Amino acid sequence: MKNKKLVYVGNNRPIRDAALKVTGQLQYTADMKFPHMLYAKMLFSPVAHAKIKKIDTSKAEALPGVKAVVTYKNSPRIPYNSSMRFYEHKIPETEYLFDDTVRFVGDRVAAVAAESLEIAEKAIRLIEVEYEELPAVFDPEEALKEGAPEIHPGGNKVAEIKTEAGNVEEALAQADYVFEDRITVPAIHHCAIETHVAIATYDSRGKLTVYSPNQNTFAFRIIISKVLEMPMSKVRVVRPAIGGAFGGKLEAVIEPVVALLAKMTGRPVKMELNRRESIVSTRTRHAGVFYIKSGVNKDGTLVAQDFRVILNTGAYATSALNVSGAMSHKVFKVYKTKHMRFTATPVYTNTPIAGAMRGYGSPQAFAAQQIHLNRVAKALNMDFVDFQLKNLVEPDGVDPRFNSPHGNPRPLDCVTKGAEAFNWASRPKTEEQGRFKRGIGMAIGSHGNGCFGAHRDVTAMVLKMNEDGTATLFTGTHDMGNGTVTAETQVIGEILGIDPENIECIEADTEATPWNLGDYASRGVFVSCNAAKKVAESVRREILKEAAQLLEVPVEELDLVGGYAVSTKDPEKKATLCDVIVHGQRVNQREIIGAETFASPAGVTSYGAHFAEVEVDTETGKVKVLDYVAVHDVGKAINPMYVEGQIEGAVQMGIGYALTEGLELDEKGKVTNNSFKKYHMLKASEMPRMQVLLVEEGEEPGPFGAKSIGECSTVPSAPAVVNAVSNALGIDFKDLPLKPERILKAIQVQK
Amino acid sequence: MQLIKLLINGKEYEVAVKKNWTLLYVLREVLDFTGTKCGCNTNDCGACKVLIDGEAVNSCVVLAHKAEGKNIITIEGIAEGSKLHPIQEAFIETGAVQCGFCTPGMIITTKALLDQNPSPSRDEIVQALDNNLCRCTGYVKIVEAIELAAKRLRGEA
Repeated sequence: MKNKKLVYVGNNRPIRDAALKVTGQLQYTADMKFPHMLYAKMLFSPVAHAKIKKIDTSKAEALPGVKAVVTYKNSPRIPYNSSMRFYEHKIPETEYLFDDTVRFVGDRVAAVAAESLEIAEKAIRLIEVEYEELPAVFDPEEALKEGAPEIHPGGNKVAEIKTEAGNVEEALAQADYVFEDRITVPAIHHCAIETHVAIATYDSRGKLTVYSPNQNTFAFRIIISKVLEMPMSKVRVVRPAIGGAFGGKLEAVIEPVVALLAKMTGRPVKMELNRRESIVSTRTRHAGVFYIKSGVNKDGTLVAQDFRVILNTGAYATSALNVSGAMSHKVFKVYKTKHMRFTATPVYTNTPIAGAMRGYGSPQAFAAQQIHLNRVAKALNMDFVDFQLKNLVEPDGVDPRFNSPHGNPRPLDCVTKGAEAFNWASRPKTEEQGRFKRGIGMAIGSHGNGCFGAHRDVTAMVLKMNEDGTATLFTGTHDMGNGTVTAETQVIGEILGIDPENIECIEADTEATPWNLGDYASRGVFVSCNAAKKVAESVRREILKEAAQLLEVPVEELDLVGGYAVSTKDPEKKATLCDVIVHGQRVNQREIIGAETFASPAGVTSYGAHFAEVEVDTETGKVKVLDYVAVHDVGKAINPMYVEGQIEGAVQMGIGYALTEGLELDEKGKVTNNSFKKYHMLKASEMPRMQVLLVEEGEEPGPFGAKSIGECSTVPSAPAVVNAVSNALGIDFKDLPLKPERILKAIQVQK
Repeated sequence: MQLIKLLINGKEYEVAVKKNWTLLYVLREVLDFTGTKCGCNTNDCGACKVLIDGEAVNSCVVLAHKAEGKNIITIEGIAEGSKLHPIQEAFIETGAVQCGFCTPGMIITTKALLDQNPSPSRDEIVQALDNNLCRCTGYVKIVEAIELAAKRLRGEA
């Protein structure tokens, strides 16, 4: 197989379900209806922190058409964590289906299932609640202070996670200079265009089926079976099409409630959040306050770096430990520096729940680090690209904590290639035209490839051949439109010598597909495409056995090419896969089928470097990103068109993180920008000219050398843009997002 | 309830509606035209766009009874049977489709644009997309798709 020219891997291919999407034929969860289906609505808390003193549901229950009203009084009181990933996952369980205390504006108070949405909405308004308000705290640093309102028993500090290499104190003391910064990043929302939605059915056999656009059917099954005390065999979770997720659909947000309502009523129940509810009550990216200290020498060598971050995890623990833990590791993967420390403290506040979001800690950590280092390089009078080239890890680099190799890290190639494409060296660093100031900036970033090292990282798959030589794949992958399943078919097609078009896929259903850890941590390519490769190789072996018998040639002599089993010595000796499969059925009375489990053997890292040019209107404070280059080290692009697509979308999200997004709370803790009108994600007219380049130097354990792109793609974006704005104005911005008011204020202070 | 007639994709539907029902609600919940998506219900995202007398309009802010007597085209009415429209083909080929939730609205906007302006500039394309949000693509390949579709519809590619 080695040195063979690749036929399908490396092709630009539309995603498998594109034709269904452009015609409106693809069924998303909100498009599904069941006979006698009920409609559900949730009542959310209008106050940030309160004990429910009295709750009266009698009027709602008396409303004709209402079939169930559920509150903390009549729901199972079993603690859980909505971000649980596997059966014995030990993370703080602070959530209940419903509780007698509400902890943020948008917390669940009650839910109703009724014959129509109109009735459900009316019933929600008839529920009478008396709140005994408690003191609330919205700022994570305030929440850590003594005497701060306690949100969960035991205090607001969820944990302190520390990881380090070398001797940071000593290295800082010996460095020529030490720089310190405090940098803050906001909570942002995923803004998948599809809001959260779920349907649950419960039948007379006691079987519960939940349909929801989610990234983790198998984990949702664990959570639902736990809170409803049902055997897992009686709980099925199915993922119909996902209308965008970005981590926001990784945690079981509304599904347990919808499942409960179906079980209570014995009827199918559908709940669809509206946009306001999705922004306020689901999940956000963790906001954070970073304290960074760097020791550098006169020649620009970064000798030590110390991070302390306070992360706002919101009202419940959910991903607090997972995100803090993941974040802590990332900064050890990029520079040659031997002395580094990362201390993360996730903290409860009475704000919307922070959870998983694209990048899982990396966007925050690298925003802070790269904004800080841009200032450090300026202070040293050193070009930021030169600073990067001096300090970034080389391909044989190691993680200083364990002396373990990074794999084949190529951040240097990304920077070199990007600087050239962007004309970094020859482009003016700043330009001024009347009220408009232009500047350029860059940043690097990295992200992982799965969960290796943290916990199990497994994908299982089944692949079977049909009589005509086509195939059917059973995959637990939750494709979010990013094309993971399409990539799986390319990998399988390559191994079996069949067109990926001829591989049909059954996807993410706890009762139809084998176990998969879930689609997060950028596992899709590195782990799941590897599982696809493994199962294809297993099927290939069986095909070759049959073909050898049929053609009467030794197995070693055979190859699979273009739908044929063919002798490499005598090309005249060949049989169609149809003949081979039918031979297996007819002569040996067997099915050609493979089932394999793949466990990730390594934790490798993906890298990227982004370059941006911005123009700042010094009268309005508005920033326009004019020009953009993004370069990513992806090992090998299985489907380059969709790798580009990931990066282009990630830049939209990254520029938003830098300039326009960020949840805003009023003094009572209510999110004020709770609509698309007020929550400003970038429109087409606000996007820059963009060039995307790939570094494809191969990553040995990856399938055909491939590694992840989905999350890494957004990591360098925000700091590249912020650095460009800082450089344009000669002001060091340290708080995101750079909304016009913030920029105007800084210009005034500068004057 | 009021009985109205809606002309959708060339066919007339008689449907009983309440005064406050939007066209989006009637399309999705009453007539099962679920290709039209709901992303915000506040006129901000464009996922629910349909053509009304040739204009791309957010159906979440049009009352159903006000659409009586108008020519309504939904995403289901863009292809001719199983033959895809060149705009749809261009979206597929350029990789402009990711999660697909904004795609029907994007295609409706494109149809209205290209019917009125067969040779739009890049600026005119991004202006036309001003009321269509996408979180997956950064709009890059969507703009490419529209350029390709325009070229093909002009017979140049």
